[in-house]
This record gives sequence, structure tokens and C-alpha cells, in this order.
Amino acid sequence: MHSLKLIYAFLKMNIQMSLAYRADTVVNILLNLMWLGWELLSLNIIFSNTQTLGGWGIGELIALLGVFRLVNTLMIALIWPNTEKFNQSIRDGSMDYTILQPANSMFLVTFSRITVWRFWDLILAIILIVIGINMSGDLITAPQILTFLLLALSGIIVIYSLWIVLIALTFWFTKFDNNVTILQALLDAGRYPATVYPVWLRVIVTFIIPIAVATTIPLQALRGELGFMQVLIFFLIGIASFVIASQVWKAGLKRYSGASS
Amino acid sequence: MFLIFKRLWQVNWAEQWQYRANLLMYLLYWLVSPIIYLAVWTSIATANGDVNGFTANDFITYYMVLLICDQVTSNIVIHTFGYKIQDGSLSGELIRPIHPMLTNALVNNIAFKILTMFGLTPIWIILFFLFQPDFSSVTLTGILLSIPAMILAFLIGYLQSAAITALAFWTTRVYSIHEFYFALILLFSGQFVPLPLMPQVIQDIAQYLPFQLMLYYPIQLILGNLTTPQIIQGYVMTGVWLVISWLIFNWVWRKGVKKYSAVGA
Repeated sequence: MHSLKLIYAFLKMNIQMSLAYRADTVVNILLNLMWLGWELLSLNIIFSNTQTLGGWGIGELIALLGVFRLVNTLMIALIWPNTEKFNQSIRDGSMDYTILQPANSMFLVTFSRITVWRFWDLILAIILIVIGINMSGDLITAPQILTFLLLALSGIIVIYSLWIVLIALTFWFTKFDNNVTILQALLDAGRYPATVYPVWLRVIVTFIIPIAVATTIPLQALRGELGFMQVLIFFLIGIASFVIASQVWKAGLKRYSGASS
Repeated sequence: MFLIFKRLWQVNWAEQWQYRANLLMYLLYWLVSPIIYLAVWTSIATANGDVNGFTANDFITYYMVLLICDQVTSNIVIHTFGYKIQDGSLSGELIRPIHPMLTNALVNNIAFKILTMFGLTPIWIILFFLFQPDFSSVTLTGILLSIPAMILAFLIGYLQSAAITALAFWTTRVYSIHEFYFALILLFSGQFVPLPLMPQVIQDIAQYLPFQLMLYYPIQLILGNLTTPQIIQGYVMTGVWLVISWLIFNWVWRKGVKKYSAVGA
């Protein structure tokens, strides 16, 4: 409950901040729509030249675009702004004040900045998923929707945990302020089903920087392609990665000694 | 003049060298989407035999050459110069007797480019062994012809980006404008897919725009897919767009500097 209250406070603060830049928000939404147009056009170009891509039709690819946009929203609305603030606070020592506050420091560091207008992206993403699934004509059962939600959540947790590990590395290597670029770089791989990639690229986006765990795999669950054991394993990976990330964060925090000492 | 450029080179090279880790990250960031497009299109071509006459090897060679052309013809002036207009640090450069955009920023961009080339070379060789392209259609004449074409295309892109950057004299939203410009490049340059696979109307418009000169045209030159009239036409278009871009940039820059009043003035 405590953290919910905090999130509410952060949201209020961030809404106030973004209201100061209303025109920018409008421009950003227009640009966002332009990119959506481009993404749909590129799918259209692909499917005017082929019936399926890695066994998936255009409906499934639109749904995948929706799931991809969920992860992308996480990246832009949460990961980038907070990382920027975090890197700054390591350099100038203002991290001291974050640690002194009576709340979980990992929580504070990762949720204090939220790009609020990006929430409309979430709605757009859900619309894309629904339209895509409808177009594909796949028959979706209730358990499939449940496993989709479960694995989408655990995929997001995997990405979140990886982010924690990447920024926690800054405690050891202060100059490592490029910490999330690698995540952003490979994110684009989530637009298409991982099954079309050559093996080495598939290994990278599934195991090393697991973008596909948050994009391709939940959608496979929605289509009923995953067995019970697979669903269980991916869910456990989500939990395990969160536990590992919290431990790395704690260990890193012990290394922190302020900017002047 | 030569001495000035030599000194500018030393300063900017040292500056870029300092950020080599950042540079490597930039390179990685920029490499991923062409490789993904390559993977997507080769998988389609392999599944269907070919895509409108494009075989899997055609796609592999196209994107492998694209990696080089894009590196040569793209620029980062919006990121290295835009903030100077906004925070007023341009003032110091304006009182120097040389054009800030056409000397310092340009040399800085070239230093950046050459350093990323060093990073790209080993990665390109690894990709070569991973994808094993068949480059038998490439001729020496094609490569030699493509070099001036790419340098001129870089200048076109640089002048256009510089003109957009100079809009910062009037508005703080230059980054949004540049994002829109970037989308035009994506649409009309052949970055996503070889232009003949784009919808007909986009192909028709792309013919007259400068963006295909940055990627599609030099790639086709290198791959030896163009006839002599097509090569000449490309060079003529390059010349025309270079003049237009130069005129636009000069006009925007002059107006902008007059409008400029630094922070604190």
C-alpha cells in the first residue's frame, strides 16, 4: 500500500511537470502517430510480398507490434527518464538523498520519473493487439488470454530486472553512463517474431538481452503454442530475474560511497 | 586555410577519441535495424524462392553494402550543434573568423565518422562470415564511381540537417522537426527495403527526392546494377540537390544568425 501511495504521488508530480509543456506533448503525440503509420506501412510492404513471416500472418504481426509497443512504452516512459536522473545522481552525489528516504531505494530510483502522456501508448498497444488477433482469425480461449497476461507480465519483469542490473553496474563503474543503450539497441528486434532470425541473433534476443521473452513469447502463449511446462518455466524466469536483480542492486548500493568521498 | 583545418582536425579527433566507448554503443544501436531487416527479408526470400525477383543473396548484399553507405552518408550535426544554439555557447564560435557550421562542426562529424568506421570494420567482417554474401556482381568501376557519389550525398544530407539544426534559432522543437526529416529518409532512401519493393507511389516520389541518393543509388552503383544513363542521371540529381541544399542552408543560417541573441544578452 505504501508503494501505491508513492506511485500516486509520483504520477501527480509528473503530470504537473508535463502540463508545463503542453505544446510539446501535442507534437510528441503527432510524431508518435507518424511512427505508428510507418510501422503499419512497413508491415503492409512485407505482407504485399509474402503470405507469412516465420509462420505468422499479418494479424499476428499487428498483435506483436502491440506487444512490442508495450515494452517500448516501458522503455520510453520509465527506463529512459529514470536512468538519466539516476546517472546524474551518481555523478553529483545526490543519490545520498534517495538512500536517506524511508522507502525502498530501488523502487524510488526506478519510479520517480514517469513520462505521463505515454500512457496513451498503452491504449494504442491494446487496440493493436485486439485488432491483430481479430484479423488473424485465431480462436482464443480464456486460459490462453490468462497465460498471455501472465507471460507478458513476467516478460516485462525480466526487462525491468535487466534494467536494474545494468544501472546497478554504475555503482562499480561510475563512468558507465551508457548503461541502457544496449537495451534500446536490441529492442527493435522485438518487432518481428524471433523465429525468423538467424540462430545467433535469436540466442542474443532470447537469452542475453531477452527482448523476445517480453514480445514473441507472450504472443506465442496467446496463440496456444506453448505447453504448460514452457509457460511455467518462463514465469519462473521472471521471478528469478527479479530476485537476482534485487540482490545485485543491494550489493551495488553497498559499494556506493557518495560523490566526494 | 589548410592550417585551420589541420588544427580543427586535431582538436576534434582528440575529442571524439575520448568518447570511444559511447561511440561503440552508438554503432551497436545503429547496426541493429539493418541486420533485422536483412534477417526478415532473407527469411521471406528463402521461404518463397524470391521476392519480386530479389533472391536471398540480393537482400544480403544490399544490406551489407547499406551498412557502409549509411555510415558514410549519414550525419549527427543535430546532436553536436543544436544545443549550442539553445544554451548560447555558440556565441564564442560566432566571433571566430570561420564559419562554425562548415568548419568546426563538419570536421567534428568527419572525425566521428572515421572513428566509427574503425569500429564497423571488424563487425562487418564478422557479419560477412555469418551471412556469406556473394559479391560477384561488384566491380571496381562501381566502387570507384560510388565514392564521389557518397561524399556528395553526405554533403547534401549534412547541409540539410544543418539547415534544420539552424531552425533552433527560432524554435526549441528542432529535435521533433529532425525526427520528421529522419522519417522521410526512412521512407524514401531505401533503408527499410530496396526501393523497387516499396509501393509504386513512394517509388515515383523518391525518384525526385535527395534521400535515395544517400543509400539506394550508391548501393546500386557498388552492386553494379545501374546502366550508364542511370549513373549519369544519379550524378546530375546529386549536383542539383547539392546546389539546392546549399542555397537553403545559407539562407536559413544567415537569417538565423541575425535573429540570434544569446542567453543573457
